[in-house]
Amino acid sequence: MAANPGNKIRNAKLVLLGDVGTGKSSLVLRFVKGQFVEFQESTIGAAFFSQTLAVNDETVKFEIWDTAGQERYHSLAPMYYRGAAAAIVVYDITNAASFTRAKKWVQELQAQGNPNTIMALAGNKADMVEARQVPAEEAKTYAQENGLFFMETSAKTAINVNDVFHEIAKRLLQGQQAQDTPAGMVLNQRPAERMVSSSSCCS
Amino acid sequence: MFGTQVRGVVEDDFNPRRRRTLWNTPAASMPTTTHTIRYSTPRKGHANAHQLLAKFEDLYGFMVEGNVDDVNVLNDVRERMREQGRVWWALEASKGANWYLQPRISSNGGSEGVISVTSLKLSVLTNTITLRRLIRKGVPPVLRPKVWLSVSGAAKKRSTVPETYYDELIRATEGKTTPATLQIDHDLPRTFPCHSWLNSEEGQASLRRVLVGYSFRDSEVGYCQGLNYVAALLLLVMKTEEDAFWMLAVLLENVLVNDCYTDNLSGCHVEQRVFKDLLAKKCPRIAAHLEAMGFDVSLVATEWFLCLFSKTLPSETTLRVWDVLFNEGAKVLFHVALAIFKMREDDLLRIQHIGDVIDILQTTAHHLYDPDELLTFAFDKIGSMTTNTITKERKKQETVVMAELDQRIRRLSSLKMDG
Repeated sequence: MAANPGNKIRNAKLVLLGDVGTGKSSLVLRFVKGQFVEFQESTIGAAFFSQTLAVNDETVKFEIWDTAGQERYHSLAPMYYRGAAAAIVVYDITNAASFTRAKKWVQELQAQGNPNTIMALAGNKADMVEARQVPAEEAKTYAQENGLFFMETSAKTAINVNDVFHEIAKRLLQGQQAQDTPAGMVLNQRPAERMVSSSSCCS
Repeated sequence: MFGTQVRGVVEDDFNPRRRRTLWNTPAASMPTTTHTIRYSTPRKGHANAHQLLAKFEDLYGFMVEGNVDDVNVLNDVRERMREQGRVWWALEASKGANWYLQPRISSNGGSEGVISVTSLKLSVLTNTITLRRLIRKGVPPVLRPKVWLSVSGAAKKRSTVPETYYDELIRATEGKTTPATLQIDHDLPRTFPCHSWLNSEEGQASLRRVLVGYSFRDSEVGYCQGLNYVAALLLLVMKTEEDAFWMLAVLLENVLVNDCYTDNLSGCHVEQRVFKDLLAKKCPRIAAHLEAMGFDVSLVATEWFLCLFSKTLPSETTLRVWDVLFNEGAKVLFHVALAIFKMREDDLLRIQHIGDVIDILQTTAHHLYDPDELLTFAFDKIGSMTTNTITKERKKQETVVMAELDQRIRRLSSLKMDG
């Protein structure tokens, strides 16, 4: 994952949103440190992490905001998603209420956030299939209808965790036109060069 | 450690029947493995020895990771705490036991314990000033329960209800499930899992009773994430659940501004706006630089204010902040937050990336093992801020925050109708 010297590094603000206890911090910990702990300290306000990811000959440096999930913290969220280049909305596949909450986050991001924000829907705790309450098909359909890409993840077993971030990085690098750089995505070196011009795709 | 000098002061003050559970291992008298470790300065060529990280238990039993310098600083802090303890005992010898529990002039902004000017005696004034100076230099851990209960007004608050209040409150909560209890149960194992007692069944049961009890006392606050860390640290200091409970009550009801933890955290929004304003006044260069970068200081400061630094600073440093907080009121949080920025002014002004700003602030805060370094900045370098000025500023910001939150709620509810 280390950046090659001479690579272009792109900073991208990424925010994680979702109900309390869905595993937002665990996903970040898995991605950033490759670790998992059963009892992750509860997040207050938000926690910040950064991690670089190399995609082909380019590097994305994620500035990750992992937000608190409790309902009353909702009023702080705009500060964290403002200007985000990407958002991961997380729910817990064993908790139907958390999926409802995820949809509300998507709705809010669509209405208030940056229209160019790349959005991912992550159904976490995919290792606990026996307790599943949210069918994968339902989430997939919802994601397609709303222009998000969808993956079921497990911070515990690491399934699909790096893939979500990798996919976001890929789309960030592909999907932006030079004159249409979303706020929050800062190009460090020679900004106008090497911007691939193609329309952003939503699966 | 202080245990040898205490003469059981903590023990004989309270009726033992009213004490539910004891946190039995007073950290201040708990010898830790690294206690006497002293590293010599590495010779040239071995400079990276400073970078060696070691896990050790800090003064209140938290497992932390730090380098050689941190361990040395902690040893110095322990020595200074012993000296400061001797100052307290000497004053007790000359002024009489419990002199600090006598009436004094409140600097807490609240009305409790305030003495009218006409009844003001010189001795009261002298004691108030002495105590204020003494508390800024630190309350010895064994005296903290007694001093905190007194200066914060918690003892007075408790004295207005029947002695059985806490026990009855806890009895009333038994077997009941509420949204607050569900969230509390979810958070118990996630509250300082690095602390062995808090991670134990006994510790979690204690913490649960304090938090659940409070959620029943004030249903508007109920339970807000963040209070788990505050209450946990209060338990470690106060030693009894009931005292921790009353400290939590006085904190939320008198010391801090209203509505920091209720519904949409409006009080917290207000404090953040006041903080930004103060940063612009007290550290204009930093404020201008960060604003030019598009960095909102609330991104880091929100957690500081909601957890009262308990997740940010090392334990003894946090408690030194709380010593002053309980005596002088919520403006202390501004002093400390400003100090963390101010301490690294030169570095912050050089930095161009948001991630680096956060790294600097977090690393600085996590390694502030020397409480005096922080408090000297907070009070000497930041300069005074009167409670009046801050109250006025809060009033102004309250209107703005309420309008903003209201607008947001309306926007979100219109979204729901569309969907």
